[in-house]
Amino acid sequence: MRISWLIGGPQGQGVDTSANLFGQAVAKAGYYIFGNREYYSNIKGRHSYFQTVLSDNPVHSVVSYADILVAFEPETVFQHFDEVRKVVIYDPSQASVSVPFVRSMEPEIAEEKSKLLENEGLRPTVNDAITYAVKRGAKAIGLDYDSIVVKVAEEVNVPRSVAERVKNVAAVGASLKVLGLPIDGLLEAVRNAFKNELFIRMNSLAAKLAYDQVPSVYDLKPLERKEPRVWMDGNTAVALGKLAGGLRFQSYYPITPAADESVYLEAVETIEMEVNALKKGGVIVVQTEDELAAINMASGAALTGARAATSTSGPGFSLMAEGIGWAGMNEVPVVITYYMRGAPSTGQPTRTGQADLKFALNVSHGEFPRIVIASGDHVEAFWDAIWALNLAERYQTPVIHLLEKAIANSYVVTEESNFRGEYVIDRGKLVRPETDYFPRFQVTEDGISPRVRLGDAGVFYSGDEHNEWGHITEASTNRRTMYEKRMRKLETADREIPEEKRVNVFGEGDYAVVTWGFTKGAILDVLDELQAMGVMAIQVRMFSPYPRNLMRKLLQGKKAIIALEGNYQAQGAEVMTEQTGVFPTHYVLKYNGRLITSDEVMEGVKRALKGERRVVLSAGQ
Amino acid sequence: MQASEVKTHKPVWSDWCPGCGNFGILRAEELAIRELGLDPKSVVVVSGIGCSGKLPHFMNVPINGVHTLHGRALAFATGIKLANPKLKVIVNAGDGDALGIGMGHFVHAGRRNIDMVLIVHDNGVYALTKGQASPTLRKGIKTKSLPKPNVNEAVNPLAVAIASGYTFVARGYAYDVNHLKELMKRALNHRGMALIDVLQPCPTYNDVNTKEFYDKRVYKLEEQKDWDPVVRKPEEVQEKALKAIMKSFEWGERIPIGLFYQNTLEETYEDRIAKYIENYFDYPPALQEIEKDGKSTTLMDKLLKTRRI
Repeated sequence: MRISWLIGGPQGQGVDTSANLFGQAVAKAGYYIFGNREYYSNIKGRHSYFQTVLSDNPVHSVVSYADILVAFEPETVFQHFDEVRKVVIYDPSQASVSVPFVRSMEPEIAEEKSKLLENEGLRPTVNDAITYAVKRGAKAIGLDYDSIVVKVAEEVNVPRSVAERVKNVAAVGASLKVLGLPIDGLLEAVRNAFKNELFIRMNSLAAKLAYDQVPSVYDLKPLERKEPRVWMDGNTAVALGKLAGGLRFQSYYPITPAADESVYLEAVETIEMEVNALKKGGVIVVQTEDELAAINMASGAALTGARAATSTSGPGFSLMAEGIGWAGMNEVPVVITYYMRGAPSTGQPTRTGQADLKFALNVSHGEFPRIVIASGDHVEAFWDAIWALNLAERYQTPVIHLLEKAIANSYVVTEESNFRGEYVIDRGKLVRPETDYFPRFQVTEDGISPRVRLGDAGVFYSGDEHNEWGHITEASTNRRTMYEKRMRKLETADREIPEEKRVNVFGEGDYAVVTWGFTKGAILDVLDELQAMGVMAIQVRMFSPYPRNLMRKLLQGKKAIIALEGNYQAQGAEVMTEQTGVFPTHYVLKYNGRLITSDEVMEGVKRALKGERRVVLSAGQ
Repeated sequence: MQASEVKTHKPVWSDWCPGCGNFGILRAEELAIRELGLDPKSVVVVSGIGCSGKLPHFMNVPINGVHTLHGRALAFATGIKLANPKLKVIVNAGDGDALGIGMGHFVHAGRRNIDMVLIVHDNGVYALTKGQASPTLRKGIKTKSLPKPNVNEAVNPLAVAIASGYTFVARGYAYDVNHLKELMKRALNHRGMALIDVLQPCPTYNDVNTKEFYDKRVYKLEEQKDWDPVVRKPEEVQEKALKAIMKSFEWGERIPIGLFYQNTLEETYEDRIAKYIENYFDYPPALQEIEKDGKSTTLMDKLLKTRRI
């Protein structure tokens, strides 16, 4: 069982709040959740929506339809009427509103949606959009929002203009009834969400009134939870992983969708530590003047021995290029958490994308070891944040941890135990010398030199080619020696890191889908169906050093190799070909800024296996 | 030769031009560190790119040297200092480095008021690329490499520093090593962000602002009877800052050097951090024992429980 619930509304009018309240109520009833937020790059007024998929089994992605669509204003109806499958909750008093009156709607979308209705002989009104959904089997439920507002205004004794704000919570109340779930989880969530007693009363009443107004369509029962569950978005998962991994310094310049991670870390301030009878530590978070400062501050902090990172998105990463090169040249253990969004340039700041893989792999001029990992979901993001910090210190080189907006801004409800376990810390060759001076860049067999903290012994660093002491030298023999020493670290990493840890394999079969990043979740949610068709899935988790031997083995003899990615060029597959010599046979790609849904995975794979060499997906408003 | 066999460090032979003002700055810096009795191991000299960038490699005092990127020395230094406030951090940057490509960091370092010293090697030219005009070269001046007289007005580093929040602002002269050394000692003893803009002839590319040019113009503020640049009460901040800015515009037949402005009342960025993070000064990020027997010492239980639903 899997139900997709979608609520929409103008940015700034409580869409997120209502989605959070809904999610909490459903989670308290014992259901697993995956929730995704889609919003414009704007302050107020544009259409944003939140999709919540609930299930009695763990869920990892969204779908391209809404079993239940919840609208409290016309634009949500116009944007999503063609996605509804089972129920649409709307405001009948707005039935006559037509598309041209919804000024916030972009002209391209208005035209597209009007045309869809016109093709069926319908007019572009709320009424006809509802008719469209009903004709396709959906049940329309008119919720009399106005009567609820009037009643709340009267009973709580507030002006109507204030009571208007309860519409979104009323919509959630109605949703719970439609699902057949009790209302108490919502009332509890309302009490936790609002500090002001007046708002608690207003919203609780609105929820109850709406709950009583609508019929039940589903008959979900509260489920028992065997162990504690947590609510985890991608930004928080990474932040917590970094803390577990010993991060003590983070610098950042505000950017969507990365900034929330740093803001979370800044709020943590003091950290409890299991040393010297609970000696308390602390993580320093510096909001910098730009991303140049962000990467270089993090590198500076790393030289002192603190575990350091920065967090950004494409435009910020572009600015960090030179600093990452310095870190490579000076063998600095620094982590760059990179949340990909719509690109190039400012692109689509609030939409997702997977088009920066090759940039991450090749960032900055010249050759130096870059370790690049990519997480596929929230749990992986947590553990990978720890892994990234360990890799950085073990191999003394920048580690780029790739994620997407699709993970950053989505959340899961899952078992807390997924985030518990042994948090391994590998500080590599960090030493405390007895001498006053220390040659920082000693040439070793594995390429990794003993590393000291600034302050423990005199050391030198330089972005110029340097000798073992860190002093500048242009001697050709030294150049070759040091160049090779640095590059050797990547070979060491390649030898030491088990390839099995760099790849996830799901199922088995004659056909393979090769993917990376967030798409893992969409695949997991349809894995049984894929398996029934003989399709297995391979998720690459580390692109540098690339798990080439295992990949060659996995891809050998496959009847089809389908590259499934959120970009135009199939960058992950290009790297695969470069590293293994194996070419994909088919491509299923998506680059409209929306995440690949689980039903799209099925659609794409089926079309590919029927012979379409290149399938381009396009779901999502 | 295996580096590990080498017991002592040898400074690198300096490849600055004979007569370069950098020698005076280097000498003053070494003397200031020695005379203050600083533990060289805890001194970190950070530099950017340009002739000044090589300074840490040439030092005869056993310090740490971090030779960074063009314009970014302050950013690296900030990370170093905040991660370990026990370290003494001195930044050396050229005028192009600090006030051209790195001007953003120059301004924001003032806003933070971190306890560091920035020494600007101010010679009016980009010498390492053969003498293009730097941000401190005055408009209409034509140094020998310029095809045309300089078309840009000069930036006033002292005024920008004061307006940005630096709490110690001074100007030195590379050929008066003793005076410069004393300024550096005061800057190193100052708690907060300090700037010393050092007038420094470039014998190779700046044939206008030469040693002769400066020798007959510079005079010491300390020798002026009525000059008192130190803020002693909060209500004096504006008045002293404005006076210092006025003074910083004096340029012509007479050029003042010395301390323009000092405010010891303003809290440092480190003080601001310590308000939120207990033990910050005693147990800073760099020194925290994050690992024990290969495992994390950070306790995650409470943090994870806050995410429970």
